[in-house]
Amino acid sequence: MKFVNCPLIGKRALSEFTYGGVVKSEPDLESVTDREWAQFVFYRHSDPQIQFEWWYHRPTGIWFVFERDTLTDRIESIRMAQKGAVNDA
Amino acid sequence: MPLRLLKYAWKKPEEELRFFPSEKPLKQSYDAVIIGGGGHGMACAYYLAKEHGITNVAVLEQGYIGGGNTGRNTTIVRSNYLTSEGVKFYDASLKLFEDLSEDFDLNIFYSTRGHFTLAHTDSAMRTMRWRAEVNKHHGIRSDVVDVETIQKDIPYMNVECNGQHPVMGALYHEPGAVARHDAVAWGYARGAQLRGVEIHQKTQVTGIQTQGGKVVGVQTNRGDIQTNKVISMVAGSTPRITRMLDIPTPIEVFPLQACVTEPVKPFMNTIVVSGSLHVYVSQSSRGELVMGASVDPAELHSTRSTLDFVEGLTDQMMDLFPFTSRLKIMRQWAGMSDITPDFAPIMGKTPVEGFYLDSGWGTWGFKATPISGKTMAHTVAHDQVHELIKPFALDRFENFKLVGEKGAASVGH
Amino acid sequence: MTLRLPPQPLEWIDRNETVSFEFEGKTYTGFKGDVISSALWANGVKVLGRSFKYHRRRGLLSFANHDVNALFQGQDRPNVRGDVVTIDENHSLQAVNTFGSLKSDKGSLVEWIGKFLPVGFYYRAFYSPRFLFPKWESLIRHMAGLGTVDTGWSEQRQPKRYHYCDVAVVGAGPSGMAAALEAAENGVEVCLIDENPFIGGSLDYQFANEETVFASRNRLKAAVFSHPNIQVLTDSTVAGYYGDHWLAVNTSQGLIKLSAQAVIAATGVFEQPAVFRNNDLPGVMNASAAQRLIARYGVAPCKEAVVLTSNPEGYRAALDLLASGVEVGAIVDTGEVSHKWVQKVLTKGIPVYKYAEIVEALGKKQLKGLVFKAAGGEYEIACDGLLMSVGWAPAGALVYQAGGKFSYDATAHQLLPSVLPDGMFACGRLNGVHEIGHQIEDGKLAGEMAAQYVTSHGTSKTESENSVVTRYREVSAHSHHYPIWEHPKGKNFVDFDEDIQLKDLKGAIAQGFDNIELMKRFSTIGMGPSQGKHSNMNGIRILARLTAKSIDETGSTTARPMFHPVPVSHLAGMRFRPERMTVLHDFHREANAKFMEAGNWLRPEYYQTAETKQACVEAEVSAVRSSAGLVDVSTLGKLEVFGPDAAALMDRLYTMNMSNMKLGSSRYALMVDDAGIITDDGVAVRYAEEHFYVTTTTGTSDAAYRLIQKKILEWGLNVTVVNRTGQLAAMNLAGPNSRRILAELTDIDLSNDGFPYLAMRQAPVAGCQATLIRVGFVGELGYEIHVNANDSATVWQAMMQAGKAYGIQPFGVEAQRLLRLEKGHIIVGQDTDGLMNPFEAGMPWAVHLKKPYFIGKKSLAKLKQSTSRTLVGFELQVNDAARRPLESNLIIEQGEMVGRVTSVGFSPALQKVIGLADIRQDLSDVGSSFQIKLTDGSFVSASVVATPFYDPDGSRQHPVENPKGAAA
Ligand SMILES: Cc1cc2nc3c(=O)[nH]c(=O)nc-3n(C[C@H](O)[C@H](O)[C@H](O)COP(=O)(O)OP(=O)(O)OC[C@H]3O[C@@H](n4cnc5c(N)ncnc54)[C@H](O)[C@@H]3O)c2cc1C
Repeated sequence: MKFVNCPLIGKRALSEFTYGGVVKSEPDLESVTDREWAQFVFYRHSDPQIQFEWWYHRPTGIWFVFERDTLTDRIESIRMAQKGAVNDA
Repeated sequence: MPLRLLKYAWKKPEEELRFFPSEKPLKQSYDAVIIGGGGHGMACAYYLAKEHGITNVAVLEQGYIGGGNTGRNTTIVRSNYLTSEGVKFYDASLKLFEDLSEDFDLNIFYSTRGHFTLAHTDSAMRTMRWRAEVNKHHGIRSDVVDVETIQKDIPYMNVECNGQHPVMGALYHEPGAVARHDAVAWGYARGAQLRGVEIHQKTQVTGIQTQGGKVVGVQTNRGDIQTNKVISMVAGSTPRITRMLDIPTPIEVFPLQACVTEPVKPFMNTIVVSGSLHVYVSQSSRGELVMGASVDPAELHSTRSTLDFVEGLTDQMMDLFPFTSRLKIMRQWAGMSDITPDFAPIMGKTPVEGFYLDSGWGTWGFKATPISGKTMAHTVAHDQVHELIKPFALDRFENFKLVGEKGAASVGH
Repeated sequence: MTLRLPPQPLEWIDRNETVSFEFEGKTYTGFKGDVISSALWANGVKVLGRSFKYHRRRGLLSFANHDVNALFQGQDRPNVRGDVVTIDENHSLQAVNTFGSLKSDKGSLVEWIGKFLPVGFYYRAFYSPRFLFPKWESLIRHMAGLGTVDTGWSEQRQPKRYHYCDVAVVGAGPSGMAAALEAAENGVEVCLIDENPFIGGSLDYQFANEETVFASRNRLKAAVFSHPNIQVLTDSTVAGYYGDHWLAVNTSQGLIKLSAQAVIAATGVFEQPAVFRNNDLPGVMNASAAQRLIARYGVAPCKEAVVLTSNPEGYRAALDLLASGVEVGAIVDTGEVSHKWVQKVLTKGIPVYKYAEIVEALGKKQLKGLVFKAAGGEYEIACDGLLMSVGWAPAGALVYQAGGKFSYDATAHQLLPSVLPDGMFACGRLNGVHEIGHQIEDGKLAGEMAAQYVTSHGTSKTESENSVVTRYREVSAHSHHYPIWEHPKGKNFVDFDEDIQLKDLKGAIAQGFDNIELMKRFSTIGMGPSQGKHSNMNGIRILARLTAKSIDETGSTTARPMFHPVPVSHLAGMRFRPERMTVLHDFHREANAKFMEAGNWLRPEYYQTAETKQACVEAEVSAVRSSAGLVDVSTLGKLEVFGPDAAALMDRLYTMNMSNMKLGSSRYALMVDDAGIITDDGVAVRYAEEHFYVTTTTGTSDAAYRLIQKKILEWGLNVTVVNRTGQLAAMNLAGPNSRRILAELTDIDLSNDGFPYLAMRQAPVAGCQATLIRVGFVGELGYEIHVNANDSATVWQAMMQAGKAYGIQPFGVEAQRLLRLEKGHIIVGQDTDGLMNPFEAGMPWAVHLKKPYFIGKKSLAKLKQSTSRTLVGFELQVNDAARRPLESNLIIEQGEMVGRVTSVGFSPALQKVIGLADIRQDLSDVGSSFQIKLTDGSFVSASVVATPFYDPDGSRQHPVENPKGAAA
């Protein structure tokens, strides 16, 4: 069990959230090559790191972006996902 | 009393043959370096030595032999996969498994128990039939069985599941087996070592050196080694190794947990898996019920345990086996699973010459231990990818040639 | 013979109430509050169980919830722990793992052949000849295991509770009580947890007769109970530490999930046995076990005792024995504890032997005496009790689980915390503090630090960087550095659960298992139900010595949850599996629906109107084809999309062009993922320029909604999506008479021009506001009608009423499947698999690659060029009812798997077996034929035919007819 200190709704159990994968920025379809596209869809460096991730809070229906350390499971920061701002995460 | 035991009775401990050597210095160079002293690494070393005469090999293990997922897994061995590629590969592994005890002169407790994958929905029934048909086509003993047949074998299963999602049938896979995981690694290790391979425990690879796109050596916490061939067999640590060479992969690491009850006298002879309930169970030869579920919900490079896991697992388990409420959970643990998008492994060559990858074993790689070792050894020895593992190449994703194994592997291991 | 003592000052039993119970067929009596082991011991029963491997007689060892040799079989559960479970009138107990009876256990024959069963013996034999292995395995399995399971036992579930506090103090001994008080005094909420029924810990048994502590004991206890900030949880075991200071607390009432801000481990130490020949004879026990027996249950451990000791605790135990009337024949000191203590016992007339080396314990069935060497030679002293007081190992499981570390203190000869994780503190004997006054001080300091940690929100500085307090640690050893004595004839047990002797560990190490984890795995030390609580420390000492390494270099194995085993019934808690029913559920039930599960939902599979399922389904199909049918499709996901960017969103989500949809029209909505794989389909309608409504498949509604919300954020669109799945209901009225039936309930123009195929209208139906979509999924004139869930009963009933004259029938999922199959429509998830793209699904028309963007576009553009398989319609060349393929039967071409049947059924309309198959591209031309392999291995021939099978030109979906006029 873990806790999340949600900026909007306070301390919540992590089990209320659904993991939505790492935040990735999608390449521009106009200019991307097939290879680059495949790299975007499938390949990444997933060694332990602090990364930005999508987490969905089911009871409120809100998407959050967590900054989480995949080695220690420490959540470094949390914010509500903002429109369009995700790519700058 | 088997005769084999008599001959040990008069020996003193110090006369025993050592499985593993005591610590010794690293050499300056090797023909090949295997990273990872799990089952896969040991098997690869064994087959390199035994079948290809390549013995100037070092296996480098950061902890102790079998201390990764090999020593944490729930040891289900089966070949009832969904794709031809999968079925052929795992079937070849099963055949090797059957001979291992005699090959090693070490009982790995390979115990054929029969394996039920329960279906609780009609779509699951269709998947079971699909698997059964593919299996039978390849000569593998798998059948869709009805509830009566299940009850004959497992009369104490509550097929009604408390009124919700009752069991509708199952895929029965006769060759389904369990084995003693550690012994598999030890047997390979001893066999490899007897043939000249060096095994170095507490030796961590910290970097891989290349020159002009080719491997020239590895760095370790005990010094540098020259070699032109490096085989990464590190399961849950794969992204750390591939990062060293800047090779991105589709692998993501998720914890996979398991637990055991206190030991009780044998009553469960088969292996039971329920995808809908996210549980699977078998009884070990020590008498513990060995149970597991699906991977944890988020990426994590850690072997911490969670309460959510045991809570969920025990709750679901009781739908099938209500009487287990009287048992106690004795221990829980976790491993790090290297999951791929199509639930099939990633094996063979990589963009870096001399760097071979054996990974993507997720929740299912114990059963592949012998065949991975064998096919990777072949691939390294001939620098040519073994036929059986061609479909598992790293670049299949780039070419959108995924292996459709997802339907069969989700909780089955 | 009875060993019951006169009342003890702090005893846990109630002598006013006796309790009888059965053990191995005999009735015994104890007092209320007695545990099984104390009651039996009081009755002179010293053989409580048999050992795991050799079936040696075993008695008490630790008396601290890990006496695995005193496990009992109850009528309703296995492996009942005698050292903690209280006796009960209903108990009828047996020893576990005996063959015959406890008294004459045939299993003990194993000891005779023990020589042939060295450590890891099972790895060395039984595998050849191979065919015999199953027999051997079965034998080995029967020898292993402890209690037996009755598979008829009923399900038990205990509700769980949540609990919150600032500081959780685990262990209510002197340091724990002091810590709790100090933290509470500092103004934080404290939860003091102890596994025993009473607080007090070692104060109450180790210092039961120590007058100097009477005062502080009473003061501490009273203060703890009266402090408003302290909640005491007794009978409560912290089974595990989980991330973020969550503790799983197991109580007899069920599991408490306790969330704390800080945790103080005051969990104390486990007393460790000495290892010498016959150290397992009943009568040999840890000194603390004997003290517990006396102080808690008023039972004497023996009549004549010898105390083997390396620390002051042993001397104190000797005095406790004397005080309770047990004779103490000698104190056998492995060194020389202190002059003070020696004087104390000498004055009581107990001889002390210093610098003793143990040779062996004597006795066959029970302890008879001890042989040891000391100055002046070898001694043999008769006794029926031998108390071992040679040292302590940390009860450090929680600290380890939280990520803390221990290192070996060469002065104390004990493993002590060296790194404590954030928000965790340790005190008392766990922290190497043995002197009572110091324990209390140490506890206070921990309590203060924890409170500060909480009030400063984790920022307070602690005495040392890693929270470890060393100030009160002992300067002399309370543990023997190597309490292990060899004997040529062995039987010196290190692990009592697993019957592991010194020689077994030597054997393991000699074979290369010289790493602590490898030694454990090969020898199984620490793997039994006590999880090494009495054996790991000695194991480490042995390994360190044999490999000439330090204890720290040797390391220790990982301590994982559970601290003590926890019942499945507690972990599972109450069963909660949501099951959803549509608002129309009762109507279906009244109409004799047979329900099936679809995701969380229950849906009518078919209605029992005839004898067999097949007949029912056929009747439903026939009603739809010939007149009218009504199906509840409320389980579809239903999403509403509003806003300036609504059209842009729809375009980006779905493969077809959606932004050019006309108001009042509908369109097929197909979704793929980034890799181009089909994930969902539904129907979209356009209410207004900036307002769409779209359905998803039943199983994917939540995921689809989540995904869309996420995409809106990613793309930064000005649009809102609302999940209306539960708010709305939907039904599909289909069949040639559907228009007539609908005409009776609505005023809109239903003519082909007024409401053409694929159009959408919003209008009242039966007085309820509805969205109507003219659809053709089942291949007849039909309308999907979406209404507020609250109105759905009215609308459903009105349609059934209006349809009565036409013989309207409700139909279920099965009929719908068959009807759509006749039309060649796919079901996502059944006809598609985890890798199928729209080209392979035979739907290139649904992919508009000219759009600038949609999810998966780039992948589909690539995949379009490399389609190697496709979904086709097929029919069987011969219709033989006995030889019909099933879904998932394979298609074989020259021995190769080339495809699979994804849907199949007998079409009543065509009187043929038809289906969909996923087949290799080169075999997919209309007219080509292929072979389907049936489940029995035989083959049937099929030919590829064009779809739709039924009504290929779609005329039935567009009947030309005046809605109010006569039937066509
Ligand atoms: C709980 C659980 C249950 C499972 N159940 C099953 C099952 O029932 N059936 C099944 O088939 N599979 C199962 N699996 C999967 C299976 O355990 C693994 O896929 C398999 O054991 C992988 O073996 P390996 O030898 O490749 O990896 P491992 O055994 O993990 O060995 C890799 C080794 O590499 C070492 N290493 C890593 N990095 C370095 C470095 N830099 N330098 C040196 N050494 C390094 C590690 O210490 C480790 O010992 C399960 C896994 C888990 C966690």
